[in-house]
Amino acid sequence: MPKLTMKAMLATALVPLMAMPAVAADYGDFSGYTLRVKLIGGAQYEPLYAEISKWEEMTGATVEILSRKNHFELDREIKQDIAAGTLDWCVGSNHTSFAPQYGSIYTDLSAIVSEETLAGFVPLVLEHGTVDGRLVQLPRHSDVSNLFYIKSLYEDAENQAGFKAEYGYDLMPPETWAQVKDQAMFFANPPDFFGTQFVGKDEAITGRFYEMLVAEGGALFSDDWEPTFNSEAGVRALSFFVDLYKAGAVPVGVPNYLWDDTGLGFASGTVAMNLDWGGWSAFFNDPANSKVAGDIGLIRAPKGSAGIRTGWSGSHTFSVTESCDNKEAAASFVTFLTDYDRQMVEARKGLLPTRGQVWDDAKAEFSASGNDFLVTVFETYQASMAEDAFTPPLIPEWIEVSNALWPKLQAAMVGDMTPQEALDEAAEEALLVMEDAGYR
Amino acid sequence: MSRDLKKRLRAAGLWVTTFVLMVIMCVPGLWVVLSGFRPNREILAKPPVWVPEELTLSNFGKIFGFGAEQVAIPVLSYFWNSMVIAMTSTLIALIIGMAGGYAFARFRFRFKNAWFLGLMLFRAVPGIALSLPVFMLWSRLGLIDTQMGLIIVYVSLNVPFTIWLIDGFFRQIPMSLSEAAQVDGCTRWQAFWKIEFPLARSGIAAAGVFAFLTSWNEFALASQLTRSTDSKTLPVGLMDFTAQFTIDWAGMCAMAVIIIVPALILTFLVQKHLIAGLTFGGVKG
Amino acid sequence: MNPARPVMRAAPPNDGFVTPVTRFFKRNQTALTPVLLLSPALLTMLFVVAIPLAFSLYTSLTPYRLTRPESIEIFVGARNYMRLLSNDDFWEAFLRTILFLAIALNVEFVLGLGIALLINKITWGQRTLRTIMMFPMMFSPILVGFQFKFIFNDNIGILNNALQSLGITDRAIPWLVDGKLAMFSIIFAEVWMSTSVFAILLLAGLFAMPRDPLEAAKVDGCNAWQTFRHITLPFIMPFAFIAMTIRSLDVARAYDIVAVMTDGGPAGRTELLWTMIARVGYENARMGQANAMAYISTILSIAFTYYFFTKLVAARRYMGGAE
Repeated sequence: MPKLTMKAMLATALVPLMAMPAVAADYGDFSGYTLRVKLIGGAQYEPLYAEISKWEEMTGATVEILSRKNHFELDREIKQDIAAGTLDWCVGSNHTSFAPQYGSIYTDLSAIVSEETLAGFVPLVLEHGTVDGRLVQLPRHSDVSNLFYIKSLYEDAENQAGFKAEYGYDLMPPETWAQVKDQAMFFANPPDFFGTQFVGKDEAITGRFYEMLVAEGGALFSDDWEPTFNSEAGVRALSFFVDLYKAGAVPVGVPNYLWDDTGLGFASGTVAMNLDWGGWSAFFNDPANSKVAGDIGLIRAPKGSAGIRTGWSGSHTFSVTESCDNKEAAASFVTFLTDYDRQMVEARKGLLPTRGQVWDDAKAEFSASGNDFLVTVFETYQASMAEDAFTPPLIPEWIEVSNALWPKLQAAMVGDMTPQEALDEAAEEALLVMEDAGYR
Repeated sequence: MSRDLKKRLRAAGLWVTTFVLMVIMCVPGLWVVLSGFRPNREILAKPPVWVPEELTLSNFGKIFGFGAEQVAIPVLSYFWNSMVIAMTSTLIALIIGMAGGYAFARFRFRFKNAWFLGLMLFRAVPGIALSLPVFMLWSRLGLIDTQMGLIIVYVSLNVPFTIWLIDGFFRQIPMSLSEAAQVDGCTRWQAFWKIEFPLARSGIAAAGVFAFLTSWNEFALASQLTRSTDSKTLPVGLMDFTAQFTIDWAGMCAMAVIIIVPALILTFLVQKHLIAGLTFGGVKG
Repeated sequence: MNPARPVMRAAPPNDGFVTPVTRFFKRNQTALTPVLLLSPALLTMLFVVAIPLAFSLYTSLTPYRLTRPESIEIFVGARNYMRLLSNDDFWEAFLRTILFLAIALNVEFVLGLGIALLINKITWGQRTLRTIMMFPMMFSPILVGFQFKFIFNDNIGILNNALQSLGITDRAIPWLVDGKLAMFSIIFAEVWMSTSVFAILLLAGLFAMPRDPLEAAKVDGCNAWQTFRHITLPFIMPFAFIAMTIRSLDVARAYDIVAVMTDGGPAGRTELLWTMIARVGYENARMGQANAMAYISTILSIAFTYYFFTKLVAARRYMGGAE
């Protein structure tokens, strides 16, 4: 391969020169090595991949991107690889919600990434990346539930007066989910305008229910893994969604909504409040995509009746396979992709970094350039991530339990069952899943 | 009003009616094509924007990586892969299908219906059930993420279908024609090639279009068996527009235009061949 | 009459005119030739379908989990199948799949036949019309899924926007949520994609149709309906059944559409066997159980196929082809 030799020669010639300005980082020398990787694809993830050539230049290695797909597709592909024994690649994009399923195919990074490097990350995020005591993933960026709202609605004097007259307290961005409910009902004017919305299917609605369950003081499982989400707290959590749906405060199509639908819905300016990922901020504030650009407020997720905020969180990460033939190169690569400079690149695009230093510096950069909105985003995000964030149980059965749960959640929403019936049935199915998996 | 004029008017009326009906049928597809030339903000708007305020090529520009920050989608590789895979698999399926179709139409043999049925049973397996075992077999044989891997799968998808169609068309051709040719001194092969093949051409063309379109548009298996630009096809490339949380629908529509246009052109060209195949049939009397 | 298109006519009957040459062919080649001609097809199917199928039959007898490769070695007999017998959700999806197939295929047939008859009458510019007719066939199923997901979106979808703009309704109709409407929507998408397949096959059948019987019928004083009912329809029935069978096999392609549009939801109202198999097999990683479902769904497909095949054979016998 002439291209490879050229590159290798060029790289060996350049490495000493290149290493000079980039004082801090030494990514090693892997001349002639081809690192095989599988990455998550999609518009907001691509700018990072444009940086890969820099790592290639520094180390002399070549990166071969075997596949670039969205996470659900990638998940399927990785499972096929496990099944067929074709784990002949080194680095894969991962996600905290998916990682536990993959068993031991990914190596413990604490053994091959220096402690110094790990110290730069927010400790809680690293903790979320740990499965069975093994750090199987290095966080790239995080997501946590935050509430977007249309600012002007809350500043409107008529709305303020009308709301106070009807509900007896001031119209303010909501602090609790009870207030969200009131305000959603107040703003709703179907089919033209909606109070709020939520994702209604797949793992998305399971996650939304789960965080509400926690905020209501419930738990998914007891200590010995018996499903307990059909508790009173569970019924309260589910009723929240069911009531909003039945009252027409959310679009009638929500049981079929996924993230793209809620995102486009809020951007279309027809939804007052939207619990969503902070990563959407840049999209929502871009006049080319969004009608509410410049009119967006963002606050931490409201509290449930137990005084806990709904802080469902997950991180996009990178993992290194156990079967990798050059773990050093792989470790160097994932370290590079999550280093300070790379996270700054992603932070500027509105993705939420996992390094403390990047939070502060990105914020400083935004405020220097007068981008107050992104400053708010990062402040809100920082607070949520530090105090509110929690992940679903990091067990391999999460997705399976979710698949037992979400059709029943929908059934309650569309009125086929009462919330209690729906949760009881789902709990029965989930119990089977847990028994089959050997938890009980 | 003369009778001739009346007749013409009626023909014109029928044509216009049919045309309008066809266009109405195509509306959902035309919306996709039009959306490829509009910005996202306008397509999925509320209140809706019925008359496009802005027609733009920027969705295409983004695909090819002009100007925008988005990394280009390797659409040329996808296109090339799609072309090679669809063309090759169609050709092979047609050859195998012609042989098989001829055998079924022209020969008597034991358990013929059972064989026929057997072929169908093979095809009856839902792709979703087949995807994992095929994947595992292919990975053992090193066929994952190769054009050859998909070609083999598509040939098998298309063969039963092709056999059926071609068998049906051969049946339309009286056996006596080739027998007569053989009396006139042709070998059976010559008789097939000179008499029956041209007559069955319309059937073969139709089967070819079908096989091509199936391969060109297939997604479920391709998404499992392809990995990179070495073999990813255009429909799989559509998923490049979906990220974890977003779908770039306008971009997807632009890509859809890239997928649809060649298929449409090919179909239009083969339409002519279909007619020619029928016109060629000089079996008068 | 159709002056623009020369028609194919049946050759004069010459049965019983058997020469020494044809007798020679019949005696020596007929035994081997068909086997030879069919072998490439059989080999391909064996390689791509039969071997993988045997593998998946085996896995359906194990508790095989994708993420635990070693679980493939545990043999549990028919346990996966026994579990399915008592799984109401599965049988609901099973019946729903039959309903989906039955409605979609019949609607496609009727619409396709209508279109084919209409286009068959056109004498000028037919090639363009036929290409337009085949336009939906250019759409990949995955694209059709996204397309109708956006068209049927309750809030920003163009269908509801259109209905509301035209003043037909002031509500947001929940196309993808309401039990009946959601089934309607996925069937609509499937019909939109596949009607052309019927139309083009039936049109091809109409083209191949000999003129003589039609003219004879005219002479005998049959009206248009009688001619259609007794001459045209029987003639194109083999094509219809080919189309039916092909579609019934291929209808699993609708998986792509349904997966994108509703993924079986809400509350399992549009759950078909294929979406269920995909979820259990890949998301839950329970391939053993998924393959057991896949086998039952294969049997369903075979039943449909067998049904249409017997119809096809009957129609062919009616036409007097080789058997």
